[in-house]
Amino acid sequence: MDIHKCISCGANLIGANYVKFPCPECGEIIYRCKKCRKLANPYKCENCGFEGP
Amino acid sequence: MIEKERMVRDLEYEYLVPPDEYLAAGVHIGTQVKTGDMKKFIYKVRPDGLYVLDIRHLDERIKVAAKFLSRFEPSKILLVAARQYGQKPIMMFSKVVGSNYIVGRFIPGTLTNPMLKEYMEPDVVFVNDPAIDTQAVQEATDVGIPVVALCDSNNSAANIDLVIPTNNKGRKALALVYWLLAKEIVKIKGIADFPYSVEDFEAEL
Repeated sequence: MDIHKCISCGANLIGANYVKFPCPECGEIIYRCKKCRKLANPYKCENCGFEGP
Repeated sequence: MIEKERMVRDLEYEYLVPPDEYLAAGVHIGTQVKTGDMKKFIYKVRPDGLYVLDIRHLDERIKVAAKFLSRFEPSKILLVAARQYGQKPIMMFSKVVGSNYIVGRFIPGTLTNPMLKEYMEPDVVFVNDPAIDTQAVQEATDVGIPVVALCDSNNSAANIDLVIPTNNKGRKALALVYWLLAKEIVKIKGIADFPYSVEDFEAEL
């Protein structure tokens, strides 16, 4: 089973405590953990460099 | 020197509509409150204490958000607006794009309780104001759906995956933003015909 990592903090994502969506700019799949979403931690796409949220 | 480079870069940048049109609609007018999350989108503070949002950021984010939303099936996009002036624009947006919408009260459990007749399972949620549509943001977070939001200078980006920095209170500002988003999505889908004007998206006074 593939274990994905949060794009902001690098934590392993287990269960349903995360969200996944295509990068708004390039479409690469981005994973964000619940904690980083709640704290509005910035993320950067590894493929195109798009910075969010 | 840096200022000069910035000016040249700004001159080369192509806006979706002329900057004057943005300013006339008042999309840049923020509030007297600034949050840390929105700091990077703020251009300056006016002498009366109002924060002014950067329209360049807004323009870029509209393009990005349109690209993002066009990756989802239109029927799987859910727009939420409790604010009066946001209701007509999202109805028009949904009519053009083919998405779902909820105006007024967001019934708790719409995204989480399969026993409700209003229950739906969207792939992405778009909220008009995260400070007002909190129930929608919370439920989307609980079920793990990405959230796109129009954020003013006083909004927090908590649980938001894509921020569109704009005035989310003004009648004309909301109409222009939703019109541009709809126009961009239609353009990305390859449909040349877009027979709507900004006035069609404006809520009545």
